Amino acid sequence: MFRSIYLKSLRDYRVPILGWGLGLGALMAVVLVAIPTVFATPAAKAAVVSLGASYAWIAEPIKIDTAGGYATWKYGITILVVVIWPLLAGTGMLRGEEDRGSMDVLLSLPRGRVRVALEKVAAMWTALLAMGLVIGLLTFAGGAKVSSDLTLGSSIAFGVNIALICAVFLSIALLVSQFTQERRTASGVTAGILVVAIVVDMVHRVVPNTVWFSQLSPVYYYNLSKPLVPGYGPNPGAMLILLALSMLLGAAAVWLFARRDVGGVSLSLPERSSQPVRALPRADWSLHSVYSRSLGMIATSTLWWTLAIAGFAAWMVVIVKQTEAQLKSLLQGSPAMGDFLKLGGSDSATNASILSAFFLFMPVLLMAFAVTQANRWSADEEDGLLEIVLSTPQPRLRVLLGRFAAVATATIFISVLTLVATSVASAGTGLSLDYGNLAAASLSIIPFGLLVAAIGYLFAGWLRAAVDTGLLSFLLVIWVFISFIGPGLSLPDATQKLSPFYYYGSPLLHGIQVADLLVIVAVGAVALALATARFARKDIPA
Amino acid sequence: MSSIIQVERLTKRYGGKRGIDDVSFDVAEGEVFGFLGPNGAGKTTTIRLLMALLHADGGSARIAGLDCWEKTIEIKRLIGYVPGEPSLDRNLTGGQILEYFANLRGGVDRAYLKTLIERMDLDTSRKFRQYSTGNKRKVVLIQAFMHRPRLLILDEPTSGLDPLNQQEFDGMVREAREEGRTVFLSSHVLSEVEKTCSRVAIIRDGRIVRVGGVHELKDIKRYEITIAFAQPVPADTFARLDGVAEVETLNNGLAVRLAMQGAADAVVKAAAQFPVVSLTSYEPSLEDIFLRYYERDGGEAPRQVARV
Repeated sequence: MFRSIYLKSLRDYRVPILGWGLGLGALMAVVLVAIPTVFATPAAKAAVVSLGASYAWIAEPIKIDTAGGYATWKYGITILVVVIWPLLAGTGMLRGEEDRGSMDVLLSLPRGRVRVALEKVAAMWTALLAMGLVIGLLTFAGGAKVSSDLTLGSSIAFGVNIALICAVFLSIALLVSQFTQERRTASGVTAGILVVAIVVDMVHRVVPNTVWFSQLSPVYYYNLSKPLVPGYGPNPGAMLILLALSMLLGAAAVWLFARRDVGGVSLSLPERSSQPVRALPRADWSLHSVYSRSLGMIATSTLWWTLAIAGFAAWMVVIVKQTEAQLKSLLQGSPAMGDFLKLGGSDSATNASILSAFFLFMPVLLMAFAVTQANRWSADEEDGLLEIVLSTPQPRLRVLLGRFAAVATATIFISVLTLVATSVASAGTGLSLDYGNLAAASLSIIPFGLLVAAIGYLFAGWLRAAVDTGLLSFLLVIWVFISFIGPGLSLPDATQKLSPFYYYGSPLLHGIQVADLLVIVAVGAVALALATARFARKDIPA
Repeated sequence: MSSIIQVERLTKRYGGKRGIDDVSFDVAEGEVFGFLGPNGAGKTTTIRLLMALLHADGGSARIAGLDCWEKTIEIKRLIGYVPGEPSLDRNLTGGQILEYFANLRGGVDRAYLKTLIERMDLDTSRKFRQYSTGNKRKVVLIQAFMHRPRLLILDEPTSGLDPLNQQEFDGMVREAREEGRTVFLSSHVLSEVEKTCSRVAIIRDGRIVRVGGVHELKDIKRYEITIAFAQPVPADTFARLDGVAEVETLNNGLAVRLAMQGAADAVVKAAAQFPVVSLTSYEPSLEDIFLRYYERDGGEAPRQVARV
């Protein structure tokens, strides 16, 4: 496996190919195997169809009463998770090696840059195909028992379609990384592009006559193929577009890589020539303590997340006001929408109750932010950034808690700005809301962000950054499934209580539910205490 | 003189793999102590145990009479540390990094810090990621020296420094010693240890194989004598003499090279029976002694290398 860059790269990908492929394949198999239970009675089947219509904006429900249709709809929500590994691998492929300094050694070999890059890209594509194949085979294994419509060919086509959308985001990540100094920045930007692409694809399912806009997103073409849906099948044209797009973006990335400095960026601004400086910085607030430094480190990403979360909340207020009349008639006429409203804690289609249901996404978004912060903590520890800090007379406890306090400050900042944005939007549009409850809904998301950060810090006591982040993301997806889809599937109350979202309640309607919130605070505090105890005794990586 | 570092039967394992085993040594206050060993011998593990970055599986390590793990904060007030593979925030400038660590330590004399920056010729306005390897090393060295610590623990501190800065570093270590401060220096640059340190410990495969003064090590060293004769001399003339470890015949018996350990009296008397043209004795450097400790059959330091 060490005979070429291609084989060596493929070897590096063997664990993710198996891990990601088996994990995502098993998820699909489980969804398929559970179908007889979900469709146990005609009424249950009808409820699922109705539920699918409610969540059409997330994933298009086509023939949802069939095994393939149901599985495709349900799997559609996981696109965010599916693409994470190729995204990280794409930024690590060239920029990651440059960060580590190993690219210098690689390029000292008698091989051209283009060949080095192409061998790595080819290995990644092979890995994605293998991953798609594993997903396809597991889909077939799970589906063969419940439906004769699910053939091996359609299952493999399903896996290949996943491999293609992964290849597109791999190429985007690779291209973005040509313009950033660090892998981390490229990963952040590409993750942002992924979220935007998913939202752009959603638009045509919510707003009529906007297909042209959604066509700008690669996710749109991924969703055009539905190989598991009987009579729908793969869309060769869409698949070809995904293939062409990934090849085009990949080629552009390789072209740029071949022409720039190793360790440099494409399109960098010329540095000003200046005399060497011997002075120390004056009055830099971020250099006073571990806490202030941590805050300085996460300031930029916090601002972007604030913009996204507060902007999303304000946008929801505006949408609810603008579509007030249509939403009310739609909600009153749809039993499934009634269930959706129940998630928000109400049976009536008032503005506040509609908004309350939408507000359930606020803790999800803040928790996603917390996942990125937990990743940064474990990555810094893994990269040896704590070694010199811990050689100063700073207790380990203070180092960890200083960092956590910075994340807490960031979550408070995001929540307060969300409150400000929604208040302004409410006042601006004339949407009547109880401002006390609005404050409760905006501020009570804070413990949810801190809970995820604490669990991430706890995992970091044992796990590598990539595994920590993967596990935390997976946990978040599971919780979303339990709380958002669980009621529709009549999951037992005990199961629903396992998801933190259960304890968010409906603060926009009923104010802060202190007892529920205390559960989250208590679990978060225990996780943080355990993380601290572990960090105080563990070996620090060099 | 009292010991500032006391290490006794210190043991660390990484799962089933060896770290260090039963390592014991003392470092006296005010001395410059060298810690020698090849890659993977256990130097960095020992240092990271002293810094309480690793938790020992057995034994004890004390600095200034305090347990390294239990009293780590008190100890770190006394220490300046240079890690073997320093990693710092790539997006901060050198100046910001130094200011940050000065704040974390507290009580750093900014005027002295600026003097160090001048001495090391560091441009503090550039980001860490833009520095060369040598400049990155300078930042790490300055942060270790900036608070005039009582004890400096330096893990391969000069790797990547150019000769001028290496000279500056030697000066800084000399000044520290003159001020009565202690330096614990891990290195495999033996000339550096030889000229800087008063005592050394040699670690191999996780175990200490030798601790002693640099001069003491030289006294017990193996050395070489080469004797040229006017006529061929039988090799076995010297083979069984006291102090002779090895004999090599050169130039068809017209010369012999003797590896010696101990007094040369018997050799000189035996050589006197023949017409001697020249006699040279070769004093091995610390490097020779060091390599000898790593000699093994098929190992990384074959005998012919040791004799170069």
